[in-house]
Amino acid sequence: MIDVWAPALVFMALSLAMGVGMVVAARVLAVKSKDTLPTRTVTYESGEEAKGTAWIRFHPRYYVVALVFVLFDVEAVFLLPWTLNVKGLGWFAIAEMVVFLGVLLLGWGYALRKGALRWQ
Amino acid sequence: MTDTSTLTNFAPLVLDLMVVFTALLVLATDILLPAGRKKGLGQLTAVALAGILGLSFVVDTSGLAFSGAYEGSAWTLFFKRLFLGVGALVALGGTEHVDQRYPGRQGELWLLLLSTLLGMMLLPGARNLILFVVAFELMGLPLVLMAAWPKTEDADGPGRKAPEAALKLYVVSAASTAITGMGMALLFGASGSLALADLAGAPQTPLLWLGLFTVIAGLSFKVGAVPFHQWVPDTYEGAPTPVVGFLSVAPKAAGLAAFALILLEAFGSAQARWLPVMLFLTVITLVVGNALAVPQNDAKRLLAYSGIAQIGYMLIAVVIGTEAGQAVLLFYLAGYAVTNLGAFLVIEAVTGDAPDADLGRFAGLYQRAPGLAFALLIFLLSLAGIPFVVGFWAKLYVFMAAYEAGLGWLVGLGAALSILALFYYLRLAKAVYLRSVDDPQPVAAGGGLKLAIWLCLAGTIGFGAWPAPVVDAARAAAAAFGG
Repeated sequence: MIDVWAPALVFMALSLAMGVGMVVAARVLAVKSKDTLPTRTVTYESGEEAKGTAWIRFHPRYYVVALVFVLFDVEAVFLLPWTLNVKGLGWFAIAEMVVFLGVLLLGWGYALRKGALRWQ
Repeated sequence: MTDTSTLTNFAPLVLDLMVVFTALLVLATDILLPAGRKKGLGQLTAVALAGILGLSFVVDTSGLAFSGAYEGSAWTLFFKRLFLGVGALVALGGTEHVDQRYPGRQGELWLLLLSTLLGMMLLPGARNLILFVVAFELMGLPLVLMAAWPKTEDADGPGRKAPEAALKLYVVSAASTAITGMGMALLFGASGSLALADLAGAPQTPLLWLGLFTVIAGLSFKVGAVPFHQWVPDTYEGAPTPVVGFLSVAPKAAGLAAFALILLEAFGSAQARWLPVMLFLTVITLVVGNALAVPQNDAKRLLAYSGIAQIGYMLIAVVIGTEAGQAVLLFYLAGYAVTNLGAFLVIEAVTGDAPDADLGRFAGLYQRAPGLAFALLIFLLSLAGIPFVVGFWAKLYVFMAAYEAGLGWLVGLGAALSILALFYYLRLAKAVYLRSVDDPQPVAAGGGLKLAIWLCLAGTIGFGAWPAPVVDAARAAAAAFGG
């Protein structure tokens, strides 16, 4: 049995070694600075000065917008490979894509109708 | 597995695709209907499901699909008809409740009902672990949302117990999915195949058995078998009653189909391995379910524990593993579906807007609504297994099949517990018939709800007086199982 599972064990050992190795290597190789300027410990925010903490409350509207975004995101994931292969697949593939887009369009209509994109 | 000849064969999935189409239709209609006029959505769902049920007697849905990952047979068709019938009855009986309580969000609830129905309909036909898990999840997740439906911003309103009901169901669902998924990963690791047919032929390693028993534990959560049952009463108490009626019937039937698939279809040849574990589960489910039902003072909690006990009887039919056992399981499920759903619909009619379903609320029901009182009495007698309603035949056939399989002691235990069960069912009946009230208030139940209750009553009495057609259908379906 061990010979069947050997690749999995090697894989797990390698993953563990990789993670631990990186942390250890960073400790060993990192340049240690002697000065203790406060700016060294501040979060880098693209040149902006960081204000407050990361634990703030986000408006729940973002969640709905993110959901609608996923709708089109997934659509693109399926559309791109489809465009490359549609010639060889024929009418069946076209019909399937029309159905798929129809369902997504229905979802889009639902989101619009229920006011998911109104920013109240 | 590389056979692609059945990849585009959709014939076995015609009924399932019709349910998908119905779901899209409900969604589209919901968009078009103005606010305040959405009651038609529930009626649309009921009519569409009844229509698909009728269609199931016309079209041929047997055969393989998706390269053998899905198999349609008389066995899967029996389950599909059961789910479609239950779905139609719930939509019919629940329309008024949904229209009065949640006028603005009816479409979503029916959409969720259709989604969970789709998962249930796919599950018995799954012959592949991936499809099995996907169908299982499609069934489980919408149920959580449906249980949470009464929740509003009013923390003391009628929906105050809904968050608890939904959260408990959610946590248990998530845990059972995680455990089932882990077990399936182990099964796949031990056998190297996702096809159910290949699992039992795998090398008999401890890994395989660990996987099997993990899957059994995960499924036990779903059907609410003891010791995985704690969520059942709390969820039943807080969720909307029509949803509870659905929850107490359809997912249980699907869970038992899943048990049959894993234990019999996949591991039928290894019955000696799992039989002791399953017998243990069955016995404690029977004992604990019946014992804890006795002290309950809330009709929904009482029926929750009685449902756990009923699962025990159905598990007997599964674990004996014979073809007769399968036929009995299907008959039991059909009878239990109309009976238990009917009982919950009567509770809905009586306790409608009340914050709980205390037994006291049923006092003098025979004065307030003689018809409903009679229907409830018949449902309770059927659940208890009194001749000659459907529950009597169901229990009798289970005991006969178990006796033939050499489990005489289990028959003795089941029969003894049935007498205990009669006691707690009659406690509810006593409140209905033997306690009078001074000023009987008539029960205000809508037409759809009443029609659904009468249909359930017709099924309970009809299957009891003339069980032959259902028995024949169940036998034919059982013969197709495992073929």
